[in-house]
Amino acid sequence: MPLILPECDKVVPERQKHVYLKDIRDPFMIPVCNIATIPGDMTERGCTYAGCRGVVGGPVKDVIQLQHGPIGCAYYPWDARPHVASGTNFHLANVFSTDLREPNIVFGGEKKLYDSIIESAKAFPEAQGVFVYATCVAGLIGDDMEAVAKRASKAIGKPVVAFACPGFRGVSQSLGHHVGNETLFKQVVGTEEPTQKTPYDINLVGEYNIRGDDWLILPLLEAMGLHVVCTFTGDCSIHDIAKMHTAKLNVVRCARSAMYIAEMMKEKYGTPNMEVDLYGIQQTADDLRQIAKFFGLEAKTEEVIAKEIAEIKEEMDYYKEKFKGKTVMIYQGGPRSWHWPSFMEELGMEIKVVATTFGHEGDYEKIVKRVKPGTLIIDNPNAPEFEEMMLKYKPDLFIAGVKEKYLSYKYGVPFLNGHTYESKGGYMAFKGALGFARDIYQALYSPAWRFIRNTEEAQ
Amino acid sequence: MTVINKTRSVAINAPKMCQPIGAIWATLGVHGSVPLVHGSQGCATYPRNLLGRHFREPVEVAITSLHEKATIFGGASNLNLALTNIIQRQQPELITVITTCLSETTGDDIHGIVKAFRAENPELAARSKIVTINTPSYVGTHVLGYDNAIKAMASQLATKTKPNNKINIIPGMVNPGDVLELKHMLELMDVEAIYLTDISKTLNAPLRLPKTHFPSGGTTVNQIEDSANSLGTIAVCKHEGQAAANVLQEKHAVPACITELPFGMEATEEFLINVTKLTGKKVPERLLDERDLLVDAMVDSSQITFGTKVAVFGDPDIAFGLARFTYELGMQPIHVMTTFESSTFASDMKALATDYGTDEAKQNIIVGGDLYELHLKIKENPVDLIIGDYKGKYIAKEEDIPLVRVGFPQADRFGYQRKAMLGFRGSIQLLDTLVNTVMESKE
Repeated sequence: MPLILPECDKVVPERQKHVYLKDIRDPFMIPVCNIATIPGDMTERGCTYAGCRGVVGGPVKDVIQLQHGPIGCAYYPWDARPHVASGTNFHLANVFSTDLREPNIVFGGEKKLYDSIIESAKAFPEAQGVFVYATCVAGLIGDDMEAVAKRASKAIGKPVVAFACPGFRGVSQSLGHHVGNETLFKQVVGTEEPTQKTPYDINLVGEYNIRGDDWLILPLLEAMGLHVVCTFTGDCSIHDIAKMHTAKLNVVRCARSAMYIAEMMKEKYGTPNMEVDLYGIQQTADDLRQIAKFFGLEAKTEEVIAKEIAEIKEEMDYYKEKFKGKTVMIYQGGPRSWHWPSFMEELGMEIKVVATTFGHEGDYEKIVKRVKPGTLIIDNPNAPEFEEMMLKYKPDLFIAGVKEKYLSYKYGVPFLNGHTYESKGGYMAFKGALGFARDIYQALYSPAWRFIRNTEEAQ
Repeated sequence: MTVINKTRSVAINAPKMCQPIGAIWATLGVHGSVPLVHGSQGCATYPRNLLGRHFREPVEVAITSLHEKATIFGGASNLNLALTNIIQRQQPELITVITTCLSETTGDDIHGIVKAFRAENPELAARSKIVTINTPSYVGTHVLGYDNAIKAMASQLATKTKPNNKINIIPGMVNPGDVLELKHMLELMDVEAIYLTDISKTLNAPLRLPKTHFPSGGTTVNQIEDSANSLGTIAVCKHEGQAAANVLQEKHAVPACITELPFGMEATEEFLINVTKLTGKKVPERLLDERDLLVDAMVDSSQITFGTKVAVFGDPDIAFGLARFTYELGMQPIHVMTTFESSTFASDMKALATDYGTDEAKQNIIVGGDLYELHLKIKENPVDLIIGDYKGKYIAKEEDIPLVRVGFPQADRFGYQRKAMLGFRGSIQLLDTLVNTVMESKE
C-alpha cells in the first residue's frame, strides 16, 4: 500500500490518507491535502490572518500595517519574517493595532478602527497607504471594515485596503494568501499608470525578498534586458502594485500564494503567466531561458547564465563533493517543497521525506513528479510524525522552519531554516544557490555535532 | 513626575502579547505537560514561533483548530477530539486548556466541556490531569495570562493533606537562569521549595541523545497538588503570581507573600527576609558574601553609573525592578514604561522616586504605553541608555543610544535565557553589562 500510517498515528488513523510513500506501481498518486486538521494532532499550520498579513501584505514596505483585533496578533508577526526592503524597513520596524478590548467586543470596534487609521496616518505622513487586517474577533463582532476603510481613505487622501482574513476562515494560512491576492487585485491593481512603458515589462509574482532573494534575481532579469514593474510583494511599494497591470508577462515563483493574482490578471488584462522555480542552478537557468524565449532575448540571456555559473562553479563543486550520499528531509509551506527536490539532487543529496504545511493538489503533483520512488510525502505533518521520521530515516539534514529547528537539534539532526534562512543573504538564483550550499555545508560539518553524547550507547 | 496613560486609540509598536502565550509559558514549566490552545491554528503557531526564537528550544503546543463551523456551532467537539487524541498519543501528565479571543467570544464553556469529557471518558481522564484556563486575549496581556494560568493550576490541583515544610515560589515570566538563581539562594538557605512553575530545565535543556519524549525537569503535578501544604507562597513578581498566591491563602490557609522582582540590592534582601519569615531559616554567610560582592561591584563602578540617564521599559515587574536597581546605581530612570495597565505601577514608582529624592518634574512614567510613545519622550528628553527587550532596537538604532537587553522576548541575540538577572549574583551580571555598555558608548 502506498499510503502508510506512521506508528505515532495509530490512534489517529485518519492521518494515513495524508502520508504517501512514492511507489512505482502507483506513481501519480498524491496524498489527501488542503482539508481541515484533526484537532489536537500537533499540527504546524497557521491561520488565514497569518497568510494574509505575514506573507502577502506584510512585505509591502511603504504602508501602515494595521491589525484590527486584540494585541497579540499584531505582535507576533512583528519583524518575524525577514522580508527586507531597500530604502526603508518601515514595514518591519513598525506594527499598528487597534488593540481591541472587552468593551469593543461587546459594542463593536468600528470607531476605534477609524480613529486608529486617522491617528496612524497622522503619525507617519510618509506612509503611502494603510493595510487593515481582520483577526478572528474582528470577524466575529461583524465590524464593517470595508465601509470604515472607505471613509478613512477619503479623510486621509490615501488608499486604505481592508483584508477579510479572520484566522478561523479556511483550513490553513493558504486561504489568507488568496484573500490577500484578491483584495489587492480588486482594490489596488490598475489604479496608477506608469510614466514609462517598455515592451519588456514583467512582474515577478509570489516573491517576497526573504533576506534579499529579490536582489539576487532582479539584476539578472535586468541584465537580460527586462524591466520589472512590480515584485509582488517583496521589496514592494503599493505604487508598484497599482501599476502591475501594464506588464507583458507575470513570472510566478510561489505559485501557491500568488498564482491567484496572476490568473485574475490573465482574465481581466490578458496578461500571460509563467511558473518558475528560480532555486538551484539548472532550474534557474531553465527558467531564465523560458522567460528569454517569450521576449526573444535568448542570446543576451545565455551570456548572463554563463557568467553567473562561471562565478560560482569552483566553490559549488567543492560543496557537491562534500554532500555526496547525504540524506535530507524537506518540510516547507508549499512550493519550496517542490522547488527544492531537484536542487538537492543537483547538490548530490538524497531526499527521504518531503512535506508541506498547506499544499494543494497541484503542489503534490509537482512533488510526486520530482522525487524518486521510495520518498515519503507527507501532507500537513505534525511534531510526533517528524520525531518518528527523524528516528526512522536518520537524515543528515532537515530543512524546515524555526518551530521545527530546535526539535531537530534535540535529535542531533543538522538543520537549515528554509523559511527565513537565518543566513547572511537569500537562497535564490545562482549566487543564492551557492549561499544555500554554503549554509548546508556549515550545518553538516559544524564540529559541534561530534560532542553530542548518546547515553544509551555509553552504557 | 508625569504619569502618562494611553492617549491614542491605535497602539503603535506595543511590546505586549496576548494572554494565551503567558498561559503556554506557565504550562511549559510543568513536567510532561501539553498546552492545548482552544482557538484558531495561528493561536498556537504564533506563540510557538516566538517562544522558540526566545528560548531556542522545541516548544510543542496543541491546538483545537477552530474553523467557521465551530464559530457557529461551538467548539466542544473539537475540544473533545483534541483531548482524546493528545491523551491517547502523548500520555501527558497535564493538559492545560487555554482559551483565546475566538473561543471566549463564541462563548465556549470550557469548564463544562471538560467536566462532561471526564464523565464520558473516565479511562482517558484517569491518564492525564486537565486544567482549564480562561485567557481572553482582549483583556490584559501575556502577564495576566501567566497569572491566570498559575491561579488555575493552584485552584484546580492543589489539595490539602499534611504539612510539607516547603515554601511555594511563583517565579513569574523570568529566565530559566533566573529560576536557577532562585534555587541557588534557597539551597544556600536550606529551604525546600515547590516552583509554580519551573522552566529552568524544560526551556533550557541539555542536548544529549536519546531525546526523551518530554523534556526532563519541570514541576510535577504531584508537587502542584502539594502546594496546598506549604509554609507559604512567595509570588516573586506580583503581577505574575499574586492571583495564585491569594487562592492558596484563601482556600488552604497558605500565607501569601507578594513581592517585587529581586533585581538589585534591596529587592533581593526583601526576598530573603520573606523566606526567613516563612521558614525561620537564617541567611547564611555565603549569601552575605554574595551580597557584599554586589556592594563591591556597585562601589567599583559607581562613578561610571552615577548620573547616567536611562529609559526603561518592560512588563510591570521587570520595568519596576529595573527602575529600582538603576536608582540604587545612582542612575536616573528618566522614562519608565510598562505596557500592562497596572493599577499600582505609577504609585509604586512615585514612592520609589520620593525615596531617592529625584527631580520629579523631569520623569515620565508611562502606563499601558507603547514604544512609539516612549520614542517621542526620548526625543524630547534624550537618555544615555535604554533597557528593555529586543524591540527597543529600533529606537536604539534611530537615536544612536545603546540598548541593554532585559525582558521578554530576546529573539535576536544568544544566551539571554541562560542568564540570571535577579538575586545578588544576577544583579552583578546585569550591573557589569550596564556599566560596560555605558563605557563602550563613550569610547
